[in-house]
Amino acid sequence: MRLRWLTALLLACGALTVFFPFFWMAVTSLKTAPEIQRVPLRIAPDQWMNLGNYREVFHREPFGRYLFNSGLIASVSAVSSLIVSSLAGYGFAKFRFPARDAFFFAIIGILMVPFQSVVVPLYLWVNRLGFLDTYLGILAPDLVSVFGVFLMRQAIEVLPNDYIDAARIDGCSEFRIFYRVILPMVKPAMATLLIIKFMWTWNEFFWPLVVVNSPSMRVVTIGLMSFTNIYFIEYNLLTAAAVISILPILVVFLTLQKWVVRGVVMSGLKG
Amino acid sequence: MRHWVRVAFPKTYMDRQRRAGFLFILPAVTYFSLVFIVPLIQSVIGSFHRTVPGGTSQFVGIRLYEKVLTDSTFWTAVRNTIHLLLMSVPTTVVLALVVAIGLHRLVSLRWRNVWAAMYFLPFSASLVAAALIWQWIYDPVYGFLNYGLSLVRIPPQKWLQSLAQVRPSIALVSVWVRLGFDTMIFLAALQSIPGEYYEAADIDGASGWQRLRYLTLPLLNPQIIMVCILELIFNFKIFDQVYATTQGGPASASQTVIMLLYDTAFKYFRMGDASVMAVFVFVTLLTVTLLQWRIFRKPIEY
Repeated sequence: MRLRWLTALLLACGALTVFFPFFWMAVTSLKTAPEIQRVPLRIAPDQWMNLGNYREVFHREPFGRYLFNSGLIASVSAVSSLIVSSLAGYGFAKFRFPARDAFFFAIIGILMVPFQSVVVPLYLWVNRLGFLDTYLGILAPDLVSVFGVFLMRQAIEVLPNDYIDAARIDGCSEFRIFYRVILPMVKPAMATLLIIKFMWTWNEFFWPLVVVNSPSMRVVTIGLMSFTNIYFIEYNLLTAAAVISILPILVVFLTLQKWVVRGVVMSGLKG
Repeated sequence: MRHWVRVAFPKTYMDRQRRAGFLFILPAVTYFSLVFIVPLIQSVIGSFHRTVPGGTSQFVGIRLYEKVLTDSTFWTAVRNTIHLLLMSVPTTVVLALVVAIGLHRLVSLRWRNVWAAMYFLPFSASLVAAALIWQWIYDPVYGFLNYGLSLVRIPPQKWLQSLAQVRPSIALVSVWVRLGFDTMIFLAALQSIPGEYYEAADIDGASGWQRLRYLTLPLLNPQIIMVCILELIFNFKIFDQVYATTQGGPASASQTVIMLLYDTAFKYFRMGDASVMAVFVFVTLLTVTLLQWRIFRKPIEY
């Protein structure tokens, strides 16, 4: 019994430690520049309702634009990933055709290809096609993820074939079966995929860093970097910007946590 | 070949169905070929070519490999990367196991969910944001960490600005970000272990330690291996955290392989050298993954 309380206590301490950087970020974002340089340090801000840093963030950088860019790119990538992945998942799960398994394992094998190994040719292609610094360029490698195909195939595979056969006998076209019979039955998997993919793309950094040049095309992760430099960082502004960049994801994450966890457990495969 | 002709020009009902199946996967196959397979092949080809200013490229055999693989900056980056992952991977996996087992023991489901959510929270932040928050905590003058240390009379440390402490400091950020992810995988696995096993162990009079050592850990083995591999891959590709904070400094003490690849390709535009590194990263991670497969043949299922 005592051991159980001890476990609970240690877990709580650990959880609070893990949570602390978030708390510290939020608190710092409410402080003024002189406040964060105060020695000795005071934890609480002088004014809890000081939102000056947030105003300054939007004033100094087109942060609204960054949020819009990230939101747009993450949404498009989530939706396109959902469409292509569920089509492919259905094809792999319920049809027989030559070399089906070879195709499937080739796609799963892509999980072993680190993105950084293909980034140079990808960059050269995007450059050649004139997509540098465009939404299409940023989206190019994010439109479909292997994880999505895998997730949808797993979800569709366990559906009974009887529904499909019944629909075929009724003269339903193959695409209509997919759209009207299959999709409504795998809504949970679709939700999981949408959320996870949105989060991934929102937090993406490496590829946007490569393709984005102009300030108007920056995404939030890149935008955060504009509050840093080697010599002097205004952490009150930086933390405010960080809060803004994390908040949308945090809201999505906390309200839909169940689906995210499902996806994480499934994504064991994702590298 | 005959199969494909029949898929392209279906005669029977079954042929039409085969064609339908193929059409369903076609968009995905096309996309992945264009975005991954073709560039991967081009990376390999590119690593044997030197691009002359003006755009023409010239076959140089393994000259670029010789150049990169004998370059001390490259091996410094490799060493740093390995040092980083040797610190962060075991820490993350062990902590995640401990937390998952602890969470699993909690009787109250509500509290279990609350604490689990808190451990999982850093997973939702981008690596850039995570690293920048930590950089503020690590700040030598105004940072919270040194303030905390001063309370127990330890002199301020330089953390990210110190040659000795920069790598442990960055490793800690990786642990913080990944802990919740691994915990979730372990927790899901723990929850799928049938309760009867533990009842049987109780009847046999197993102690708490024996239950852990001879029941829980062996049953979690596939997940432990999988998480180790995932962490290895994740930490080998470390980039965002380093780029956002130290940029590889001080004095290349936190230069990593992907940092070097990025600089080589997009700062110095030496695409050939970068391709060599790309191939190196691919081959290394492929070897790690295949080793895992050799040791654990059967696929991991949930």
